[in-house]
Amino acid sequence: MLLVLVRVIKGPTVIDRLVAVNVIGTKSIVLLLFSGIIFGQLDMFVDIALGYGLLNFIVSIAASRYYQHRRSLEQKGQPS
Amino acid sequence: MPELPIWQFDTLFLIAVVLFGITALAMQNLMSAAIVFGAYSFLMCLIWTGMGAVDVAFTEAAVGAGVSTVFIVATIYNTGVSAKPKHPRVGFKLFAGVIAVATGALLLSALPDFPAWGDPQSPVNATVAPYYIENTIEDARVPNIVTTVLADYRGFDTLLETAVVFIACIAIYSILRVDSAKATVDEPDIIASPPAYDPTDSLIIRQASRIMVPFMQIFALYVIAHGHYSPGGGFQGGVILGASVILLCISFDLKFVLRQWTEKKIMLLTALGVLIYAAVGVACMFMGGDYLNYNALDPVLPGDMAYARYYGILLVEIGVGVTVMFSMIGIYMILASNGRFKRGL
Repeated sequence: MLLVLVRVIKGPTVIDRLVAVNVIGTKSIVLLLFSGIIFGQLDMFVDIALGYGLLNFIVSIAASRYYQHRRSLEQKGQPS
Repeated sequence: MPELPIWQFDTLFLIAVVLFGITALAMQNLMSAAIVFGAYSFLMCLIWTGMGAVDVAFTEAAVGAGVSTVFIVATIYNTGVSAKPKHPRVGFKLFAGVIAVATGALLLSALPDFPAWGDPQSPVNATVAPYYIENTIEDARVPNIVTTVLADYRGFDTLLETAVVFIACIAIYSILRVDSAKATVDEPDIIASPPAYDPTDSLIIRQASRIMVPFMQIFALYVIAHGHYSPGGGFQGGVILGASVILLCISFDLKFVLRQWTEKKIMLLTALGVLIYAAVGVACMFMGGDYLNYNALDPVLPGDMAYARYYGILLVEIGVGVTVMFSMIGIYMILASNGRFKRGL
C-alpha cells in the first residue's frame, strides 16, 4: 500500500496515478473486509465493499474516455 | 473485544490523507489532481470505517470516490486540463496566508473544549444517544439506528437536505444550461466537433457495462430497501442508481441515454423525489398527526403501530433516492455536454 502511495504522489504521468489509485481502491476493498472481520459484522462491510467495487472503476472509465476524446481532438489539429 | 491497533492505523491513514491533499493542491495538471482526490476519498472512507461509522463510509465511497470525481473529469473535459497559475502580488498572498492561519488557530483553540474521542460522559453520548439506542426498535422496528435517526427522529433535517440536493441541481442547471437554438455559433467550442473514434474499440467496455448496469441497479435498490437493517439508505442507493446511468453515458454515448431520459423527464423526476418526501409529511397531517409523524399513517399501512414508522421511513427513503439519482444524472449531463444536452464525454 505504501509503495502505491509513493506512485500516486510522485507518479510522473497522470496514467501512473490513475492505475495507482485503482490499486488503492482494490486494496481498500480488502481492508474494508478485514475491518469487517475485526468488528465481527462482516455482513455490513460486504455491502460497503460491494458499493466500492461497483463505483471504483467508473472513474477510470471516465478518465480513459476523456483521453480517448482528447486524442481524437488533437489529431484534428484543434487546440485543446 | 480485544485491544485493536486502531489508532495507529488512523494516524497512518490521516498522514496519507494530508499528504494527498497537499499533493492535489500542488499539482498543475488538473486531471491528476482530480485523480488524487479520488484516492483521498478512498482513504477517508477507510478512516470512517475505522471509527465504526459505516453509513458515513458508504456515503463517502459512493459520493466522494465514485461520482464527484466523474463530475470533475467531465468538467475538465469541457474546460481544459492545465491550471493557469496566476501570480498575485506578495501582499495579497501574505494577506490570504494570515487569514488562513488565523482561522486555523481559532478552530484549533476550540479543540480543548471538545470532549475526548469516544468519551461516554460527553453530552452527546450521555443524553441523546442512549434514548435512540434504547427506543429505536420499540418505536420503529428498525435495527439500524442511523436510518431511524436520519429519516424519523430527524426527518425535518433530511427533508431539507433532500431539498438542498434538488436546489443544487436547479442552480447548476440554471447557470450552465445553454439554449442550443439561441447559442452563438461562432463560439469556439470543443464539443462542436464530434470526436471521430471507432465505435468498435470500446467493445469490451460496452459489453462489460451492459452486464454491470443491471447488477448495479439491483444492488442500489437493495441498498435503499435494506437500509433498515444494514448501512445504506436513500442517499447511497440513489447515488449508485445515478452512477449506473452515468456509466451508460460514459461507455455508450450521451445521445444514447438521452433517447430514453430526456432532460424534461430528469428534471421532473428530480422534483418528484422531494414531492414524495413532502407528500408523506402532508399525508401524516391529513391523517391527524404532526408533519412527518409516521404514526399517523397507521390506519392505511399494514402491521401494528410501530410498523407504520417502518413503512414511513421506507417511503421517505424512496423519495430521497429518486431525487438523488436524477439530480446526479442531471448534473453529470449538464457538465459533460457543456450545458447543451447533446453530445458529451
